[in-house]
Amino acid sequence: MKSRALTPWLLVSPATLLFLGLVVLPLILTVILSFHVYDHSTGIKDGFTVAHYVRVLTDDYYLTIFWRTLRLAALTTLICVLIGAPEAYVLSRMGDPWRSIFLLVIIGPLLVSVVVRAFGWSMLLGSTGLLNQTLRALGLDPVRLLYTETAIVIALVHVMLPFMVIPVWTALQKLDPAVEAAAWSLGASRFTALRRVVLPQVSLGMLSGSLIVFGLSASAFAIPGLLGGRRLKMAATLVYDEYMSELNWPLGAAIAIIVLAANLVIMLGYNRLVETRARRALG
Amino acid sequence: MAFLTLQSLSKAFGDFTAVRDVDLSVAKGEFVSLLGPSGCGKTTTLQMIAGLVEPTKGTITLDGRDITHEKPNRRGLGIVFQSYALFPHMTVADNVAFGLEMRKIGKAERERRVKEILGLVHLAPFAERYPRQLSGGQRQRVAIARALVIEPPVLLLDEPLSNLDAKLREEMQFELRRIQRSVGTTTIMVTHDQAEALSISDRVVVMEQGRMTQIDAPYRLYERPATAFISSFVGKMNRIDAVWRGGRAEAAGLALPSEAASLSEGVAAHVAVRPEKIVLGAPGQGLFDGTVSSRFFLGSYWLFNVETPVGTVIVSLPNQGAEPVAEGATVSLRWQPESAAVIAAGAAA
Ligand SMILES: Nc1ncnc2c1ncn2[C@@H]1O[C@H](COP(=O)(O)OP(=O)(O)O)[C@@H](O)[C@H]1O
Ligand SMILES: [Mg+2]
Repeated sequence: MKSRALTPWLLVSPATLLFLGLVVLPLILTVILSFHVYDHSTGIKDGFTVAHYVRVLTDDYYLTIFWRTLRLAALTTLICVLIGAPEAYVLSRMGDPWRSIFLLVIIGPLLVSVVVRAFGWSMLLGSTGLLNQTLRALGLDPVRLLYTETAIVIALVHVMLPFMVIPVWTALQKLDPAVEAAAWSLGASRFTALRRVVLPQVSLGMLSGSLIVFGLSASAFAIPGLLGGRRLKMAATLVYDEYMSELNWPLGAAIAIIVLAANLVIMLGYNRLVETRARRALG
Repeated sequence: MAFLTLQSLSKAFGDFTAVRDVDLSVAKGEFVSLLGPSGCGKTTTLQMIAGLVEPTKGTITLDGRDITHEKPNRRGLGIVFQSYALFPHMTVADNVAFGLEMRKIGKAERERRVKEILGLVHLAPFAERYPRQLSGGQRQRVAIARALVIEPPVLLLDEPLSNLDAKLREEMQFELRRIQRSVGTTTIMVTHDQAEALSISDRVVVMEQGRMTQIDAPYRLYERPATAFISSFVGKMNRIDAVWRGGRAEAAGLALPSEAASLSEGVAAHVAVRPEKIVLGAPGQGLFDGTVSSRFFLGSYWLFNVETPVGTVIVSLPNQGAEPVAEGATVSLRWQPESAAVIAAGAAA
């Protein structure tokens, strides 16, 4: 009997060990590190301090970067919803060979490294890139896109779109097509049927898509690093700089913890807000 | 007077014709069933009336108005889908109110009509439930209430009872008929269940491979099937292989009583007799004798398989409380000439 009681624990132990070793332990170490004293001449010293937290939360330099991270992640999420949800709807209404082909087109980019895709965008958007060459050839003024927030958002949307399309598409798959037809037969226009009948039923898919997109965008590293340049930092690139250029590891750790906490609060809050409403109706 | 008219309505999917030249007129208040095996084009026909499938050819007229190309949300017809297609994120009351809301009917009036229709389908206590909290029969009634509350000129039902178990299906057949009678809405129901079609419709339309082959009252359809296919599809039917000779049907050297038929001499034919029209008697007292090879007790009646010189004949007898003829017994069979129709063997499949 005793061995049977142990079986579930044994079964989950590999995953638990992996989780403890790769997530919890480094996290605890990071938290501890963030409270260490740092001295520019001697480096990390023993001793407890909250100075790094105070500095990050009061210095305009850091607050600007946090605000930018929040803003760009939210904007990326919004654009992904606006593009991804209709895209998933169109996809779900396609005939058979086309549906598979377009699904592959949407998921395909995931097979290419983010770094490669970011370089691709920088070649497209650069001052001598394809876009500006085209504009010049048409006799128009070139636009400065590379190293702007616009470039970051464009590239983030490109990378994150599959994470929105797939959950919405999955939700649409579960939808009985007759339900939409029923709404038409009751006098609803196509748009009203979409808004009143289809949209509420895929809202949970949009919610999970938004959470993934927001979380990944807020912690994105390669895209802001390559398309934002030295000046336009986001949270992840800031942490990287503190660790690698400033060598102020405790400060970097404090930033990482703050970003993690903020991300958690925002995502859980959002989840609570939308999910409780959707769950009540969809069960 | 025809209220809803279909004229040479056809639908082709690519080079496959699912519905071919369907002509039908339905009178106001009538309950018409489309009956046929799966895949014969019933749903396609219904969806063309509903506006969900564009006809390839033909016209649909409703109350003198051509609605062939009108959008489904402008036709105002009530549709009950096979899957019910309830809105899962809305309560029963909101589901039913949806059509009224689309018609911009005020809140007070809306609530009154929702309450009234939910009372009619016996669902008043369930108004605040969600569809997933209801049983199959209750969901089906919500779907009917939702379609009826908009007071549609025509109610279209696509196999509304096929998802229910046998007992509930029978109950709902009566229920459906009761609701339709009390509201008086012209109704077209699609079904592949002949008992269902016969029991609740005013008229039955039989479809075979995209065509309508007979339109008749249930009683007439049962008694006078137009084709061999219908006779086999609607109810049980004995089909005795015979030859038309000297104005009579002959099988195994016996002359079988039947209705008069105008067939040419020597042509192969079937004599079609319903099992309940055959009378069993003592040996030697009927048209011919046979041996009861097996019998089945079906509650309200018995079914016998009788081996005879003309082949196996099915006979049914009402259950009158006494033990009937035993298996292995020899019996005689007879029937009245007007109970048997002669159909040329080649006529339809
Ligand atoms: N959208 C479609 N595309 C191609 N063939 C179809 C389509 N809808 C129905 N069919 C075909 O038309 C025939 C009739 O279908 P349907 O009307 O659904 O039959 P029923 O309702 O009588 O079972 C079937 O053979 C079916 O395969
Ligand atoms: Mg069907």
